[in-house]
Order: sequence, then structure tokens, then C-alpha cells
Amino acid sequence: MSEPILRVDRLRVAYHHPRGAVRAVDEVSFSLRPHERFGLAGESGSGKSTMALAILRMIKPPGRIEGGEVWLEDTRLSGIDDAAIRRLRLAGIAMVPQGSMNSLNPVVRIREQIADALSDHGLHPGRRDLAARITALLGQVGLPPEVALKYPHELSGGMKQRACIAIAICLRPKVIIADEPTSALDVVVQRQVMETLGRVQADLGAAIILVGHDMGLMAQFVDRLGIMYAGRLVEVAPIDEIITAPHHPYTRLLIDSLPSLEHRGGLRGIPGLAPLLRDLPSGCAFHPRCPLVTERCRTEKPAVREIGPDATVACHLA
Amino acid sequence: MRRYLRRNASLVIGLALLGLLCVFMVVGALTVDTSNAQALSVPALQPPSWDYPFGTDRQGRDLLAVMVAGTPLTLRIGFIAGFFGVGIGAVLAFTAAYYRGWVDSLIRGIADIGLTVPGLLVLIIIAVSLKGTLTVNEMALVVASLAWLNPTRTIRSQVLTLRERGFVEIARLNGMSGPEIIFLELMPNLLPYLAATLVSSVSAAILASVGLEVLGLGPVEAPTLGMTLYWVNFNAAIINGWWWWWTAPLVVIVIVFLGLFFLTVGLDEVANPRLRRAI
Amino acid sequence: MTALLELKDVSKTFAGGKVALENLSLAIDAEQPRFIAVVGESGSGKTTLARLLLGMIEPTQGEVRYGGDDLSRLSGVRRRAFRREVQAVFQDPYEVYNPFYRVDHVLRTPVRKFRLATSQAAGQDLIETALRSVGLRPEEILGRYPHQLSGGQRQRIMVARALLLRPRLIVADEPVSMVDASLRATILGSLRRMHEEMRISILYITHDLATAYQVADSIIVLYRAGVVEAGAVEQVVRAPRHPYTQLLIGSIPRVSTERNWVGEQRQPDRSVTASGCRFVSRCPAMTERCVGEAPSLYRVSADHAVACFLQQESAEMPNHELSEVLTQPA
Repeated sequence: MSEPILRVDRLRVAYHHPRGAVRAVDEVSFSLRPHERFGLAGESGSGKSTMALAILRMIKPPGRIEGGEVWLEDTRLSGIDDAAIRRLRLAGIAMVPQGSMNSLNPVVRIREQIADALSDHGLHPGRRDLAARITALLGQVGLPPEVALKYPHELSGGMKQRACIAIAICLRPKVIIADEPTSALDVVVQRQVMETLGRVQADLGAAIILVGHDMGLMAQFVDRLGIMYAGRLVEVAPIDEIITAPHHPYTRLLIDSLPSLEHRGGLRGIPGLAPLLRDLPSGCAFHPRCPLVTERCRTEKPAVREIGPDATVACHLA
Repeated sequence: MRRYLRRNASLVIGLALLGLLCVFMVVGALTVDTSNAQALSVPALQPPSWDYPFGTDRQGRDLLAVMVAGTPLTLRIGFIAGFFGVGIGAVLAFTAAYYRGWVDSLIRGIADIGLTVPGLLVLIIIAVSLKGTLTVNEMALVVASLAWLNPTRTIRSQVLTLRERGFVEIARLNGMSGPEIIFLELMPNLLPYLAATLVSSVSAAILASVGLEVLGLGPVEAPTLGMTLYWVNFNAAIINGWWWWWTAPLVVIVIVFLGLFFLTVGLDEVANPRLRRAI
Repeated sequence: MTALLELKDVSKTFAGGKVALENLSLAIDAEQPRFIAVVGESGSGKTTLARLLLGMIEPTQGEVRYGGDDLSRLSGVRRRAFRREVQAVFQDPYEVYNPFYRVDHVLRTPVRKFRLATSQAAGQDLIETALRSVGLRPEEILGRYPHQLSGGQRQRIMVARALLLRPRLIVADEPVSMVDASLRATILGSLRRMHEEMRISILYITHDLATAYQVADSIIVLYRAGVVEAGAVEQVVRAPRHPYTQLLIGSIPRVSTERNWVGEQRQPDRSVTASGCRFVSRCPAMTERCVGEAPSLYRVSADHAVACFLQQESAEMPNHELSEVLTQPA
């Protein structure tokens, strides 16, 4: 087994409000292998987007990284200064943030937006060099060279998202974090964008973390999946294992709640509500909604345990 | 609340300045003999002294009494005109923005034409054509006649965005009628904005009234701040070196405008959450 | 069939030339409640359809009729009846609340305006029952401001609001797309229950074919302002005939160890002609005829219609028979 390219070790992120601190990420640990596709799934309020930002040290006050470590290969990200982490962003770890296609600068052409990314990292290629580089980048994401001269509003949703991916990969990062990259796109375009992302990842030999809530998307795209609930990583396992034999009751319920296209059995949901992070239940955060709840679950918070070569779970019953 | 006030310095300063004025007016009304604000009450052209802390003017008015009597008059003109302006403006704005169509075109058209005409000029013409002397209330109405133009436009654009919000559609589905939606759904959301508009409207009205008065077109008998400045001009007080005559009204006017300005800025921050820095 | 609400040959073009809907005829049965799903991507016309049915916009051509009368020309009394019988649930659970009021406002207003209760207590009772029927506890909801509740709770309150009036039809425009997956079942389940127990017709507008398959009885697939396929869900979803429907279903990522996204999806991208089939630029099965002529609906079976020349063996179906295809007994 090769060395992990990214290692997150007991990361803790909290938001400090006048009413008290809220633990958004609670001792999360996982590692990412080179070339791997890792999914981070969870519903709103689970902490997955905060997790993604924390890896890049982009948490702003009143949020703060309280503890734990993030390692990119041999570099400990908490030990480097601001200038170094800025250099690492995009060049080492790139992010395609949520809603990024709507965050493209509307008055700047795509070409300039890519050039800006390059120049921010000290790269100022000559005009012809730049044009060639941009055409190559756009080609990698399946966009024709003409797109470089267009403004964002002239492109469709799928094309905009692919442009964002192009910006994210322009410095050949080792890790790409994509946060809900297709949430605003229709299924047909979604498939195109995800295939683009996969192809790009293979070309670069990079690893991907896909953050999202669509289990179907995870099933089709990732190699390993982590499930987040109330700030904790409650299960991590290879995707096929999660689909066929999930260990955590929440994972099981999540998979069961997905509507099938094969037969009409009715829809099943998960009873209750996701807990507010500032008002977590005692013991296991999932216990009020868990069909297998025991007395122990109400009082004791389950620790994260390894249950296989690649799998961890945080449940008393697993 | 207190923490918010600490961060919104403008609001605090504005309220403090206006508070100071209020105290001055109230205490003054109780301690000073305001009949001395009329001409020929006291010896003329006395520089400030213990008897006459603000001095006296050429026509024998005690300037302290003038300030105590005149400040509320000026403010009254401003408030009446300001409220009228925003009141009428709001009604027109809501009607135009909610119902759109020809009503909107009509109201918008009139307001736009009105705004292109120089306001002071119109006011001068109105003031000049009114026979006889003006009372303070008539003065307020003169200024109010134009005060509704700008509020109509600004409030209208706020309502235009607000009416597209989802809750307006839900209100319709719930069976609410047009006027009900305007009053019960739209207006409460605009209260901070309307408050801010009111304050700036009052400022503008005071400015307009002082402007007219300085030109001699105001209520000549009343000891308003603007009329005092008119007399200052008329009697060439600056050249003659009767500095106390123009200092008093000037200082009061400056305090009024600074107070209203800071209040507007402070209310703006309340009304526009995007200006707020992290609640 | 007597129609509660119907669109007759309705077309809608917006300023700037954008055609949102073309020649659509759809009738909602007044006697037999139906659960119909309208599936389409953004730009397909499904939101325009919802707004036309709710009287929020007027058609450029054709008529929207409520109980036989033109919707745009209803008298005050008829309009009130329309509001009472046709209600809606919208997509965004944040936008639909006036931040100035507590959530009670949105529930008490219809009780008051439509005089649903004779006393304060009866009204309160009505509201609490409605909240409980969507799985909410009144004591946790009433008295709160919208920002104090989660998106899922807010959306369920909206469903409760819609059913307070006991309407005949609820137009639900993407009611669960902004809600967590685990809560979708609850909300859609409420709609299904309302349909079965309270005999309310539901028009479920969505881009999510999978949930449509689970809760609806019949389905219309819209593509670029027109109907490409329609019929019973078992037919349309399990045996789709239109290339677009097939593309759509094939693109949905399944939770399965089987990778249904295998193989690069090469979509042909031709320049569009105005007069041909609306799908011709992306269709892998296109022929000469498709470029110049737009196919009408072909009735491939009693409960299945497809707008594609591949089905030309079947009988051509006039637009206004669309409702028949949707209302065949299961």
C-alpha cells in the first residue's frame, strides 16, 4: 500500500458564537491515497463543507481550527506560514467550491480568469505560451478553444462548471477537492461534468475528494466513501462495501431512503431531524433517530474503530 | 443592544447631537423668556454677556430667546414637510411598484419630470406668489409640495425588489388582497428603510426652508433660524463685526445637520444589513 | 371528463422571443383525483406550466380554464373559489416566509381569509391538526420565526398550509429539491397520503425522475417547451421510448455496485433547426424527416404516448388527448 498523499488526523473545527462554541468538525481522521477517488457524504449541517475548507486552512473567524493535523505528503499544513499555504492552494491542493460556476467574475473573460490564477502563483507566461496553455487546459475539460474569449454568462451551466475545473487544475495539483460540483446541473450535464472530472483526475494522476449528498453520484464515481453526521466521520469504507453491507445504521438508512428506479416500493425516510450542532444529543449523536438504539448509545459516544483494512466505523453495534 | 450601539458609532453620535438640541430647547423653554425673541424687547447690539449670553441683535431681540424659540420652529417645518414627503411618497411608491402598468408609468413620469425641475426655483416661485406673509405651517406645506418626489422614486425601487419575493406569492395564495399585501407584507419589511428615508427627508426639508428664509421668502414674523440669518444678511452683520449675531444660528444649524446626518448614516446601517459587519 | 383546471392549446412566449411552452393541452380531472408528475430539466417549461396553472402568468396563446371559465377573466367570487381549490407548494423554503412574522402568520392568514373556522379555538385546532399530519409537533413550530427552523421544517409547514384549505389540486413545484434526502420521503409521503386519503389531485413538478416514479401514477416528460413522452409511470420509466427519456434515465446515477455510467457518453451536437423535432440536435437516432418536421404525439398504447417518428407505426394523437393517456386506470 502506497503512502497517502493527504492525511487528516483528528481534525477539530469549531465556530465561536456569543452563545457558545459549536463543534463543526469533531476529531475527523482519514487518509487519501494517490489517484484515489474519495467521497465525503453527508446532509446539510454534517460539517462536510467545513471539513473541505479546513483542509485548505480557509476557515474564517468566528470559525477556528482547534486541533488535529493535515498532512500533504510530507508537509504538515498547520506548521507552514500564510505565504506557504497560499502557494499550496491551487498548486498542491485545488478546490472547486460549491456554486463556483456562479462565482466566476462576470465581467472578466475566461481566459483572463485562468491567467489570473497562474499569475497569482508567480507564473507569467508570454502571450503565445499562455494561449497554448489555456487551449490545452480547456481541451482537457472538453471545452473548445473559443471558450477562452467568452464571458461566463455566455456559457451554459455545464460549461461554466467545466471552466471552473480548468482553473482548478491549471497548476496540476496533487489533490482536487470538489464541493457539490454538480448540484445545480441537470442529470445529463451532471454526468458529462463528472466524466470530465474523472478524466482530468486520471490525466493528472491526482486524487479527488468529492463532497456531496447524492449517494447515487458517490456510488458511480468514488472508490471509497466517508459518511459524515453531526461533524463526525461515522463510517469510511470502500464504496461497494458501503452499498452492499453498510456498518453504520445511518448509512443503511441513507441508502434505503434513495428512490429506486426499478420498482415502486414507496419512499422511506429517516425519522426525526438532523441535530443542531450547538445542541447535540448525549452519547451517540445519531441515537434519537437510530432504529437499533441501546442504552449504551444514549450515554456513551462511540469511538471510531477500524473494522477492516480500509474501513472505520463509529458505532457500538458494529 | 448596547453592544450594537457601540459598533454603530454614527447612530450614537447622531442621537447624542439631537438629544443635546432637545435638552437645549426644553431647558430653554423653561428658563428663558421667549417673548424677548420678538423685536424691540431688549437693548440692541449687545455682545454676549451674563444678561444676554448669546448677545442681542439690531432690532432688539435677545438671541438666546431667538434660538430657544426659533429652533423648534425650524425643526417643525422640517418634520412636517419631511413626514408629508415620505408619507405621500410612500403611498405613491407602493401603489406604483405593486400594481405596475399604467399607474406605475404615470406616477413615475410625474416624479421624474418633477425631479428634473430645479427645486429651489419652484419653491421660490411658490413662495413669491403667495400673497401676504407666511406662517410657519404654510412654510412647511410649501416645502412639502416638492418633498415627496425623491422618496417616491427611492421607495419604489425598494418595493419593486420586495414584491418579487416568494412570500408575496404565498400571501396571494392565502387570499390576501393587494392593499393587504402592501400594508401587511411589504411595509413591515421596509420600516427601517422608511425610517432612514424619513430622516433624510427631514434634513432636506430643513435645508430647503432655511434656504428660502435666507432669501427672505419665509415667515417674516417668526424667529426661525433661517429668518435670523436673513436679518444677519440684511443688516450686514458680518461686515459690521457683530459676530455673535451670526454665530449662534450657524452653530445650531450645524448641530442640526450633523445630528441628522449621523442619524441617517446610522439608520442606513440598520436598514441595509449588507453594511453591517458581522452581527 | 369535466375539468377542474385545464390548459387548452396553451403557448407561452416571453419577451425576447423565448418560447417556454408550445401547444400544451392538459386537463385536471374534477371528479377523479390524480397524481401526475411533470419531469423536465431547467428550460423545459415545467415552471412556466406551474405558473400558468396558478394564474401567476397569462398564456400568449390558448386559454387556461377554471371550471370552464377563462382564468384571466374570473369575477371576484370565482377567483376566491379558485384560490380555495387550487393551492401550491414552492421550491424554496426560505423565500416563502416573510421574515417579519412568525411562521404562525402563514397558517393563520388562510384560516382567516377563507373563514375556515368559526372560532379562534377551532382555527387553532385546524392548524395543529394540519401540522401533525405532516409530521410536525405544533409546540415546536408555532411561535417561532422562520430563521429558527430548519429548511425541512419550513417546507413541511408549507405543505400543511396547502392542505389547510382542503384544495382539489396542489401544484407542487420542486417541493423537495432544496430539502435533505432523508426528509424527502416524509414530505412526498405527506403529499401521497393527501392524495389517497383526502382525494386531492397533485401535480408534482420535478427534475428527479426517481422520486416521480415512486410517488406519481402518471408522468409527463417535458423537453424544451414540449411534451416528448407521457403516460403511466410504469410505462414511461420502465419502458421509455423517446430517446430523450432514455438519455435521462441512463444518466441518473444509481446506488448500485453496477456502474451504469460506463462508457463515455458521446452526445451528437448539431446546429438546431427551428422547424424540426426539438431533440434533433442531440438525438442518436435521428433521420432526415426529423430535421424538417416536428413529430406529433403517437399513442403507443392506452397509457403511453411518445412524440417521436420512431413510433410512427402507432396512431397519431391530437394534443388534447394527452389527459386521457395520463388517466387510464392502473
